[in-house]
Amino acid sequence: MNAQCWQNGFHRRIAIALLILPLAVGCSSESSDPPANPTGGDSEADAESPAKPSGPVVLGNLLEPFDPPPLEKLLAGHKWIDRPVVDSMQRMRQFQAELPPPKLSAKEALALRNDSPENNELLLDTLGRLAPESGDGVDYEAKITLMADADLKSTNPLLTSSVVESDYHGLTVFGLFGFDKDFEKFASSGSVASWQTSEDRMIDKIVLRDDLTWSDGMPITAHDVAFTFRAIMTDEVIVPALRQGTDKIRWAEAYDDQTVVFFHKQALSTNDSNLNFYIIPKHKYEHTIPDDPSLARSEAHSRLEDDPVVGGAYTLTKRNRGQEFVLERRESYYMHNGRQVRDKPYFKTVRFKVIEDLNTALLALKAGDLQSMTLNAEQWNGQTDDNDFYRHNTKGSGMEWTSFHFCWNLKAPYFEDKRVRQAMSYAMDYQELLDTILYGIYSPCRGNFHETSKMFPQDGNEPYQQDFDKAEKLLDEAGWADSDGDGIRDKTIDGRLVPFEFTMLVVNFEDRVKTATLMKECLESIGITCHVKPTEFTVLMQVMRDRKFQAAFAGWGTGADPDTNTNIWGTNAGRNYGSYSNPHVDALFEQARHEFDEEKRNAIYGEIHSALWEDQPYTWLFWRNSFYGFNKRLRGYNFSPRGPFHYGPGFDSFYMPVDVP
Amino acid sequence: MTNSPNNSTNATDAPPSVGFWGEAWQRFRRRKLAMIALWFVVLLCFTALFAPMIVGTKPIVCKYKGNLYFPCLGYYKNSWENPVFRKDRFRNRYTINLKKKDPESWAVWPLVYQDPYRRVRKGEWKDRQGNPSGTNGAPNRINLFGTNQQGFDVFAQMVHGTQIALSVGFVSMGIAGVIGITIGALAGYLGGWVDTLLSRFIELVMCIPALVLILALVAMLDNVNNFHLMAIVGCTSWTGIARLARAEFMKLKQMEFITAARALGASRWRIMFRYVLRNALAPVLVPITFGIAAAILIESGLSYLGFGASPPNPSWGTLLKSGRSTIQQTWWLIVFPGTAIFLTVLAYNLIGEGLQEATDPRLRQDSH
Repeated sequence: MNAQCWQNGFHRRIAIALLILPLAVGCSSESSDPPANPTGGDSEADAESPAKPSGPVVLGNLLEPFDPPPLEKLLAGHKWIDRPVVDSMQRMRQFQAELPPPKLSAKEALALRNDSPENNELLLDTLGRLAPESGDGVDYEAKITLMADADLKSTNPLLTSSVVESDYHGLTVFGLFGFDKDFEKFASSGSVASWQTSEDRMIDKIVLRDDLTWSDGMPITAHDVAFTFRAIMTDEVIVPALRQGTDKIRWAEAYDDQTVVFFHKQALSTNDSNLNFYIIPKHKYEHTIPDDPSLARSEAHSRLEDDPVVGGAYTLTKRNRGQEFVLERRESYYMHNGRQVRDKPYFKTVRFKVIEDLNTALLALKAGDLQSMTLNAEQWNGQTDDNDFYRHNTKGSGMEWTSFHFCWNLKAPYFEDKRVRQAMSYAMDYQELLDTILYGIYSPCRGNFHETSKMFPQDGNEPYQQDFDKAEKLLDEAGWADSDGDGIRDKTIDGRLVPFEFTMLVVNFEDRVKTATLMKECLESIGITCHVKPTEFTVLMQVMRDRKFQAAFAGWGTGADPDTNTNIWGTNAGRNYGSYSNPHVDALFEQARHEFDEEKRNAIYGEIHSALWEDQPYTWLFWRNSFYGFNKRLRGYNFSPRGPFHYGPGFDSFYMPVDVP
Repeated sequence: MTNSPNNSTNATDAPPSVGFWGEAWQRFRRRKLAMIALWFVVLLCFTALFAPMIVGTKPIVCKYKGNLYFPCLGYYKNSWENPVFRKDRFRNRYTINLKKKDPESWAVWPLVYQDPYRRVRKGEWKDRQGNPSGTNGAPNRINLFGTNQQGFDVFAQMVHGTQIALSVGFVSMGIAGVIGITIGALAGYLGGWVDTLLSRFIELVMCIPALVLILALVAMLDNVNNFHLMAIVGCTSWTGIARLARAEFMKLKQMEFITAARALGASRWRIMFRYVLRNALAPVLVPITFGIAAAILIESGLSYLGFGASPPNPSWGTLLKSGRSTIQQTWWLIVFPGTAIFLTVLAYNLIGEGLQEATDPRLRQDSH
């Protein structure tokens, strides 16, 4: 299948947003079939004037003026290298073709209990096989219900900020690029006819396919791509996550309906990832964005919010805020002028039920009302072992590069000193954390990059072990001793005696609160007072963004490119909530960006990893692996370091067979 | 009365009157359920007061390097635990470190060696294994009420949680009582524009939802403790008391004995708080008792939702919360705290009811 579902757009790191949203029940809105809204849809496919100033806001005002050369001159003036245009489904199929045939039949695999790593492998090996290319045996009328752990806040791809939104956009959005489970990047053959890069790596030329259609019937063209780039690069338009990367692009020019050319500012190894952003329809937004750069306030935008024009495989047909949103397979996605031009998506309907509570979700899964959900440690280990669960479901797990840590705010007086942060890492009782709170199914975290990734340095560090003596020694060295004899460590800062007493913020989830509380217990033993403050996720994010915290328990999923880490570790970077700054690390990131040799580049990231480990701006705790429950009817799921959904093909390869064994 | 000698001799012959409160107490004592409830609450008070001596991991009293210490006081307030133990790097492991650092030392331990704030690890207490974690912590000889998923002893949390449950009830209703009675008294006794003003104020406060206020407070404060919750509950739940007090004052100020007091030249404050209040107190005590039960429920509810005091907070509601996620395996996390909340709230309601019937003259006649 050519669908660019799920893997699109989001190369960037996403905050782990398993949040609760307590009072998010609002009015419901329903939208009918998409092409019902022809107003404002008259697109002038006028190439030269992409959204000239028509209001107070000038689109693309963050861009410096640039005069792109004519296409002929451009083509003649450079040597062009062909880049991969890949169907992620095909790639997965090739990968699986090289595997030996599965040891078990589907029936045997479904009868198996997933109670050991061996069984897990056997089970996934059988059930993860893709449907035959012809689509024989696939139930195309199948409906699937998935869980959304929070409400869909916005249907506008530019406003995406949480996991639920990236789930939604994964199915509905139009994008040009994708990556496979090993994070190898390519242009999606579902959208792109050809992709070429100039030899000096300063220019990318992409030719779109000519059989692409928006859900309102308008063709998807290169102008949409260039327009979206301009919209993202507009100062007044608030795009929470998308401008990272696109700001390294100098210009995007649509030469005709199919050809779009990107001009880069520098030749960087990250240029490919920078091209990967969600595309919005120019004919809908061209006139509305200058009037309302917030993308949310004007009437036109709220209409688009409820009845979005999409370019992906599925389209939104129903949205009850706080309850559910429903996507339907879009015929104009895979059919063009009466001819099938792309693989037909496997599901007729994809329903997302908003269930914030995992216990409720598990009940729904057991009852067969949900077809798949993520399981927490508690559920994996004890609540999914009985017949009640295995009647309709089975489960699988895979390694995931999602790590959790205590983030120390280096601007707080306590955590400025590297030795204090190291002491913190020595104070934590990792064994207790992994064995009791996390049920022994997660692995200790050894720093920024996963030890199975290519970026992890050779002979890299081992995880910290609890050692109170070392911790106390480091604290004493850093000047945090108990000078007034009250049992609490303190230090004179600016002539004032400051006791070592800080607040740790944590999302209001039980296992996370427990983790922070364990840290509190450990710190108490060495004379440090730590208050644990459970906070609602959105509040926590806001406080962290404002840097108004002392310490926080948080987590990161992985981006598809290690360069996404710049945003977390670079001096003054957007997600560098702890205000970490190390010129050496900054320089290494910059160096890696200019390094095109894969091996050398990874070595630089290895160096970054070690530098970060030495500085301990975080106390890294554990990697959270993927644990999922799947309905017995489901097939074709495979795990990537970003879980079973967020890569290519990801969800695209999920299907239900016609006859169930 | 003084005019009639006969009557006066009769009065001296008769046994001295026990007074209103004495009579009420006699009546109250006759109500079996109310008395059981009262004893239950007294028992709870003892449990709460002596919680660190009943269950804990810090010695009640110990001799260390020639001095006597009471480390268990640290459970009441962190700073009451002598800093010497921190300086000598005890790290909260008294059983091991006392003997190690001073072989001459001795200690008196709490009845049960368990801790409400952490998991007791292997080898802490003689040869005892560490507390089981996950869903394996069913009640046994060592963990009387079982353990939660993290291996914290439920019995220890329940005993220490008693402090929270009781203090939340008493303190918040204490605050509510003081505010309610004062405002009610002023409004009822002074009347006129003061009454109008205060009555509107009461109505205003009635509109403030306590829960929302608490949630806002929790969002603002860094380290929420139970006193914050008590203050908010107290400051929002006095309205019923104020209205009752106002009505009582309005009624009583018309009585002859008040007129007499005024004629004798008693000051306004003296009349209000010495003569009227005494007689108005009985009906006011009833909503206070019910209010205690409600406050306990509010605190449990907040902890259950995760908006209670900052963790680790061994409140009964917190225990219920942790039981929720594994309800099918860990019945003990639901049954014990659930029962405790139920019984305590029931006890207060029974006491309130008993009090009502013992003090309300109309009900008194009915019961005869």
